[in-house]
Parts: sequence; structure tokens; C-alpha cells
Amino acid sequence: MTDKAPNPATDPAAPPAIALHGVELSLGRGAARVHILKGISLAVAAGEAVGLVGPSGSGKSTLLMTMAGLERPDAGRILVEGTDLAGLDEDALARFRGRRIGIVFQSFHLVPTMTALENVALPLELADAPDAHARAERELAAVGLGHRLHHYPAQLSGGEQQRVAIARAIAPDPAILVADEPTGNLDEATGASIVDLLFGLKRERGATLVLVTHDSGLARLCDRTVRLRSGRVEAAVAA
Amino acid sequence: MHGSLPSPVAPAPGATPRSRLPLVLRLALRELRGGLRGFAVFLACIALGVAAIAGVASISRSLTDGLAREGRRILGGDVSFGLIHREASPQERAFLEANGRVSAVAFTRAMASAGDNGAALVELKAVGPDYPALGDLVTEPALAPADLFAERDGVFGAAADPALFARLGLKPGDRVTVGDARIDLRASLTAEPDKLASGVGFGPRLLTSEAALRASGLLQPGSLNRWVYRLALPDASDARVEAVMEEARRTLPEAGWEIRSRLAADPRFARSVERFTQFLTLVGLAALMVGGVGVANAVRAFVERKRPSIATLKSLGAPGGQVVALYLTQVMLIAGLGIAIGLAVGAALPFLVEALFGTALPVPLNPTLAPGELAVAALYGALTALAFAIGPLGRAHDVAVSGLFRDAVDPDRRRPRPAYLAVLALALAGLVALALVSAFDRKVALVFIVAAGLAFGLLRAVAFGLMALARRLPRPRRAAPRLALANLHRPGALTPSIVLSLGLGVTLLVTLSLIDSSITRTLERSLPARAPNLFFLDIPSRDADAFDRFLGAAAPRGKIERVPMMRGRITALNGVPASRIKAAEEAAWVLDGDRGITYAEDLPDGSRVTDGAWWTPEQGQKPLVSFDGELARLLGLKVGDTVTVNVLGRNLTVPIANLRHVEWRSLGINFVMVFSPGTFRGAPHADLATLTLPEGPDAATEARILREAAKTFPSVSSVRVRDALDAVSDLVRKLAFAIRGASSVALVASLFVLAGALAAGHRARLYDAVVLKTLGATRRRLLGAYLLEYGALGLATAVFGLMAGSLAAWVIVARVMKIGFVFDAGSAVLAAVLAVAVAIGLGLAGTWRILGQKPAPYLRNL
Repeated sequence: MTDKAPNPATDPAAPPAIALHGVELSLGRGAARVHILKGISLAVAAGEAVGLVGPSGSGKSTLLMTMAGLERPDAGRILVEGTDLAGLDEDALARFRGRRIGIVFQSFHLVPTMTALENVALPLELADAPDAHARAERELAAVGLGHRLHHYPAQLSGGEQQRVAIARAIAPDPAILVADEPTGNLDEATGASIVDLLFGLKRERGATLVLVTHDSGLARLCDRTVRLRSGRVEAAVAA
Repeated sequence: MHGSLPSPVAPAPGATPRSRLPLVLRLALRELRGGLRGFAVFLACIALGVAAIAGVASISRSLTDGLAREGRRILGGDVSFGLIHREASPQERAFLEANGRVSAVAFTRAMASAGDNGAALVELKAVGPDYPALGDLVTEPALAPADLFAERDGVFGAAADPALFARLGLKPGDRVTVGDARIDLRASLTAEPDKLASGVGFGPRLLTSEAALRASGLLQPGSLNRWVYRLALPDASDARVEAVMEEARRTLPEAGWEIRSRLAADPRFARSVERFTQFLTLVGLAALMVGGVGVANAVRAFVERKRPSIATLKSLGAPGGQVVALYLTQVMLIAGLGIAIGLAVGAALPFLVEALFGTALPVPLNPTLAPGELAVAALYGALTALAFAIGPLGRAHDVAVSGLFRDAVDPDRRRPRPAYLAVLALALAGLVALALVSAFDRKVALVFIVAAGLAFGLLRAVAFGLMALARRLPRPRRAAPRLALANLHRPGALTPSIVLSLGLGVTLLVTLSLIDSSITRTLERSLPARAPNLFFLDIPSRDADAFDRFLGAAAPRGKIERVPMMRGRITALNGVPASRIKAAEEAAWVLDGDRGITYAEDLPDGSRVTDGAWWTPEQGQKPLVSFDGELARLLGLKVGDTVTVNVLGRNLTVPIANLRHVEWRSLGINFVMVFSPGTFRGAPHADLATLTLPEGPDAATEARILREAAKTFPSVSSVRVRDALDAVSDLVRKLAFAIRGASSVALVASLFVLAGALAAGHRARLYDAVVLKTLGATRRRLLGAYLLEYGALGLATAVFGLMAGSLAAWVIVARVMKIGFVFDAGSAVLAAVLAVAVAIGLGLAGTWRILGQKPAPYLRNL
């Protein structure tokens, strides 16, 4: 298994990579409206690995989306790398995300009509990087898929698809990586190799990692575990 | 979904790292590798609409080019001079001969008698020894003109239309008599080079020599013959052509001849081509508009399907506008393919027609690639695709990335952002502007645009009304009707797209069938009991009394009417030359060519004076004219104005004494202009007579009288009214058939859209069917629910289609065609029922397949 990364959160002078202050969020309309996040305050230090755990419906994924600027809170503030997300419009938010935040999904969400190489090059191309394909090729080699560059997602196994997704998330060198149940759709052995990869890359690049998981083994690899229940932080436990 | 992707080892276009293409285009090309799944209806709709518009434009251009290129051949020279009743005077002939080589052709109606085989009316064309000066005369057997027309032992030669052989039961080599001339029908006529300019008539063509015509004795003063002098200029430049025409008008103003040049060999035909082109372009545009609904449906489904990719792109940093630009590029690339297919088919059409029919075509077709017209068709296609795609595509801007974290995503019900609505407005404005700019008649185009807009708006209103009603109705207790009701209004229901496509289809079908039945009824009804059975033309004045006696003996109880008849051309109104008068479309024909005119002491039957007063016998001694009231209004004429008419080479300027309302449909003898007896005192003329049999149409009696008249009065031409009407209704039916054929393009488009909409709904059907079958529903019960749903949709749409179609048909029949509107409930309802049956059939056919599926494999993937 992976060695634990040094925890920069121990340096009290360093500003947090992600800071949430009193975040409230409800989803749905009318009678179907559900109060999901109820005044969450949380700080994630730069380089820290945080595991969000809790029962289904406790608000883990929604909290992750809010951190990544994919949901706008009804109340409260979110600062990512010192930037207040409330001050960014949709397009600025998309560009910010493209540069600073890498996302790994449970269902991979690769673009089916693009090859592995093109999927990984995509965020670089969107950010107008001049050497997008060369960098993408290096990233794929780094996740062990240097020989599968021109395969389409449908021609890859689940584990390979998740590797491509991780390579894509890491390609723009984001400061923050968020992952939503990254091993949720994989068998145990494949899941373990993906976890190794994810934590290895995090350590190598000094990125901040926030992941949602039901897997207690995976949670234990994190520097800290935040347990949610009914939209509130129930407990934060340092590993 | 991925089966069609290329092999992993071969990087596809757009994949090269150093590609210089803009990012949006690069990504769009990559996305297109997924194939065109879901775009079949989109492609078909765009291709069909563009093909229709491009095809019509290409054929029209090929015809116009053909007319221009073949103008000289069609006209038989560079300039032609047409005279009625008479040959050119020595002075006129001298003018023509001074300017170039002259060939004369004469036209007249005559009876060709074949002894016991009976007699038939023919359109006789008599030509000189140098005919045809241009182009080829094709006969079967092939004979040189000299052999064909040569006089042998006092017998002349001719070629006749195959219809004459059939009508008289003759074969090449048999003989007929025309007037006093004996003529051998030596060949069957396949093609005459100058057919278009020669005009068409009620009878088959008999092509013979001028000598034969002279020998026939039909060239009597006042008889209805037309002489056309074709002039071939030594210097055939356009400027010279114009100069000769101008000189002819200036030096011989009294000639009253109709002058045409090869530059506009057949202005009437050219105008018909223009008018028909506009009509067919509008039909093509209607097909595109209907197809637009298919485009919108396909794009909506496409955006739904692409939601994960859209969200993924946004999660990777693509702003909403860039995502829309990417998918818009992709949609427009696919539209480009549809447009290319449409253009290829449309551009190939004239070549195809030429290859298939070649010389058998009655019109000059010069297959041409028309880049300008094709560009317009492409622009129509692109604007339609943009207008109908931008709304659904604009929604991609706001697809939430958070959807990637949840299993199901709420479909976004928000309106597209204002920027996309602005693009939509611009595309629509572009379509309207294009339709107006390229229209031959802007008014018609505008009416079409307003009607199309109204139809779309109303059909949307019907769909929303139906959905609102279904939402408010109490929930039935039984499952099948409850499911049917829910399917009508649930989010993503098929109701709007089916109502729109089926509604346009039903409306079109009902409109066409009501126009059809109105035309048919009008043709049938316009033969009232009092309508004459036979018309007799060219009764020499000296034989008039003898002819009356002959008719009296042949049909003792018949009613005989006889009036003098001449032909004349209006050359000026209130001193303004006819060529400079811009008349309303409905009245222009009066100034175009020659008209039958008469004189009378008393007000003719079937007329009543609406303004001014009929002349007394004393007033009638002076030149006066009575004019058709409706045409006078359209031409801006009133009592006291003057009309200048050229009759027998003399210009007569006559004041209008009164205006009449004429009941044309009685088919009695009537004329636009009736002159006072004093106007034409002493002028040579022939008479026109009608015979009305008391017992109505009677084929045997009519045939007998016709035969006897041909024998006793060989110079008199007899026309069975039934034959003439049949010829007209045949023409109208052919036109109606052409219109139906053209409109079927729009119908096919609506069928595509309907099938596409139904296919799109099958996924939801599949889900319902599988879940309900799992819960114990039988196929019969499910089918019952779908039948109810489609039935309700069909019924609501049919009711709307019946009303809208009837209104449209009424406007076209009563206001545009100006004939009596007949509401034939039977055929209208039949059209509506047929359309609804197709809808239900298509819907159920697709559903039945779904109902047969085993639930398990689907449950695993749902």
C-alpha cells in the first residue's frame, strides 16, 4: 500500500487549499426541495488528503461538488486556493476548474468518441496548452497506459478507463484533486491498483486530495477523515 | 454505441497533435467519429428540403437557359411578326424582306374529314418550302420535308399528330380532306422544332404546306387564321434584333402585329415557368420547415444523449459557450452533409430528366449547373438547420456538471439564454428575407410565410392545450387509460412533435383533397343544362343563313345562336400603348395576344350592364364598345375611356359605352369586348354559332351533326363542347397531379418527422413496457394504452387539420383560383382519417416490436 504523505497541514502559517464557511445548500424545487448541506465549515490544508465518509444521502458527493465549484451554495463562502468561488461567473469558474482542480468520477465519464490520448489531452487543449498531445502521452505512460494511446474507452477495461480518467484529471497539474468513489465501479484488485496510482501521483505532485468513499480501507489512507451525517460534519478524525 | 468507432491503431482526423484546425472544429470532428446515429431523420429532412428547392431551381434555370439558347429555333427566326385574319400587306412584306430572310407559317383551325371514319377538328399549320428554317422536323417514317409536303396529282402531303390517326382510325398513307384540299397523311409527327411558339389548341396538329392551305379554300376574309412571319437577320446581334422590332413598330404602326424576338421567344411560357418555380420553391420551403421539426427533435435527443459528454467537458474547464459552439459546429457539419446530398440530387435532376426523356420533352431543357440557385438552396438548408437546432443546442450551455455525480438528472426545462434566442431570431429573419428576396411574387411569399408561422403557432397551441387538458383530467381508475393520459403530458412527451408533424401533414392532405374536389366539381358543374353542345367556327357570312337552315334541319328542337366573330388585339388603353401598361396579374392576359371580339345590337345573353347603358339602335351606329366590368376595374378603365383595337390591320379607337358583368361559366357565346354594329360596318368577318340540344349532352347526335357539317360546310370548324372541356379538364388534372406530386415532398418530410418522433419515443416506451410487464401487464393491455394515446393525439390533430386544411383550401380556391369552393366532407374526412391511421399504424408498429422483448436483458441495462 501507499506510504502516507507528509502532512503540510501541520504548518499553521500555510493558508488552506480549500476553506468552507457555513455552507448551506438545498436542491430540488417546491415540495421536492431537500436541505442537503447544513452549515458546513471545513478547511483542507494544501497537500492534505481528506476522505469524506458517511451513509448514503449524507451529502458527501454534494459537498465534493460544492468544493469543486460545480454547485453554488445557497449561503456561506467557499475559498479555493484563496479564490472566493462566489466571485466567479460560470465561464470563469469553468476555466478556474480546468486549471486548478482535477476531478475523478466513479463512472469515469470519458468522452466515448475520443481515444485515451484525446481524452487526456482535452483539458490541456481547452486551456490552450501548446503541447497538449505530448503531455497527454507522458501522462498516459505515467499511469501505465503508454501502449493504449489510440484506444477508445469502449475498448478499455474498467480499471484502464479509470487510469485514463486519473491521467486526464492530473494532466493540467491541478493543485487540487477531487475523486468521487474512484474505486466504486471496480473490482477489489483493480480498485487497489487505482488507489496506489492516485496516492502515488498525489504524493509525487504535492496535490491536495479530497475523496468520497464508502471503503474504510481507502479512508484510512487519508490524512484525515471527515464523517458526514444528514448534511452536517459529524466528526473529523486524523488518521 | 461504440461499434462504429475506428480501429485503435489508426488515429482519426482531428487527432493529430499539431492540427491547425480551431479547437472547436477539432473537437467536433472527433465527436463525429461516433457516427451519425440519431441523425437519420435530421439528414433526410435537410436533404429532402434542399433537394426539392435545388431541383426546382435547377430545372427552372435549365428551362430558362433552354428558352434563351433555343429561342431562335423555338421562334423559327430572330424576330417573328404575327398577324390575325390576314396575310402581310405588300408594304409589310417589303419591310420584312428588306431586313432579312422571311419564312411564313399560317395557323388555322379546320375539320379533317376521313369519309366514313368521320371528321375531326385539327390545328392546321401550313408551312412554306423552306420549313423548317431552323432545327429538325422529325416524322415517322422519316421523310424529308420536300417529300412530306410535295403535291402529287393534286393531292398534298402532311404529317399529323398520332392523336389524329387514332381519332379517325387512320394510318400513315391514308387520306383526309380539309376544305377543298385532298391531303395524304404521309407520316406521323414526332417533333416540330418550333412547337412551343406555335401554341397548343384543342385539336391534334396537322402539318401541311401553304399550297395545301390555299387549295383548301379556308383562307376567307374574316376567317380565323393567323399568319406568322419569321425573320432571320443577316446580322443577328441582340442590338440589331431590338432595332428591327423598334423600326417595325415605328414605321408600320397600323400593322397591329404581335412582335416577338428570340430573346423572349415565348414570354407566356417563361412567365409560367417563373410562377411554377415560385410555387414549387414554396412547397420545397414547406418541406424544409416541416423537416425543421425533425431537425429540432434530432438535436434535442442529441443534446440529451450527450449530456454526460457535455458535463464532462465542462468539468474539464470548457465554458458553456464553447460547449454550445462545439456541438453547433458538429450539428452544422451534419447539416452540411445533408445539404450536400440535397444539392447533388437537386443539381442532377435536370440532367436526369434530360437523360430519361430527352427529345420527348415538350419544352426546351438545357441541363445546367446553376451555382447561384444551388447556393440559395444551400443557404435555405443551413438557415433552417440553424434556426431549428439553436434552441435545443442552447440548452447545452446550462447542462449541470453535477449531473455526473447523480444517477438521474432533471431535464433542464429552462429557456435557452438570450444570445441563442437572438441567433434563432436572426436565422428566422434570414429565412424570411431569403424567401422574399428570391420570390417572383413577394405577396404570395409573404402570405406563405405568415400562413406557415400561423400553422406552427397554432399547432404548438393545440399541443400545449392537449397536454394541459390531459394534466387536468381526472385520473382514470384503469391502468391503460391512466398510462395513456400520463404519456400525453409527462415531461418529454411526444405530444408537441407528433401534433406538429402530423398536424402539418393532415392540413396539407385536407387542403389538397379539397382543392382537388373543388376543381373537379367546378369542371363538372360548369356544364349547365343550358350549355351548348357544339360550337361552329368560321362560318362564312355568305353561308350563314344556309348554315342556320342546316342546323335547324339537323336538330329541329335545338337552340341556335349565331354572332359575328373577329379577332383583334388591344394596342392601347386611353392612348397608352399596351406594351407600356403594367396590368394586374389577373388582367394581363387581355393585353397579351389577340382576343375574340364581336358586335351586337342587343345585350348578349348571360350579361348584365353594371355601369353606363346599352346602346340604342341609333347610338349603335357610332363606334362604341362594351367592356367586361371586372377586367375594366383591374385595368383601371371606366365608362368614357377609350380602347384602341387593331382589327384587320387597322387601329380603331373606340369609347367605352358601358361595363358588363359576364357569366362566363354559362359557356354561352360571350366576349370581353362587344362592339356596336357601327364599329365594323362592312368589315369582312365570319360567324360563330352554337347549338344547344334540348336533351343535354348526346354523343350520338353530336357526332352525327359534326359529320354532316364537315361534309356540307367543309370550311366550318366544329368543336364539341364536351371535347373542349375534356381538354381543359385534362390540363387542369395534369396540373393538379403535378401539384400533388410536388406537395408530396412536404408530406414525405412530415412522415419522416413523424417516424423520427415516434422512434425517439420508443426508449420511454421500452422502459414502460419492461417495467409494466415485470409487474404483470399483458401485451394486449399495453397495446390498448398506446392505442388510446396515439388515438387521442391523432384525433385532436385531425380535428385541427380538418379546420386548418379547409380554411387553406377555401383561401386558395375562392380567393386565388376564384372558382366555387366545395366542402367535400367525405374526401376531407378521408384524408384526415388516412393521416391518423398512418400515425397510429407507425406508432403501434414500432411499439409491437418493443412489446415482444423479454424484460430481463433490458432491466439489467436500464
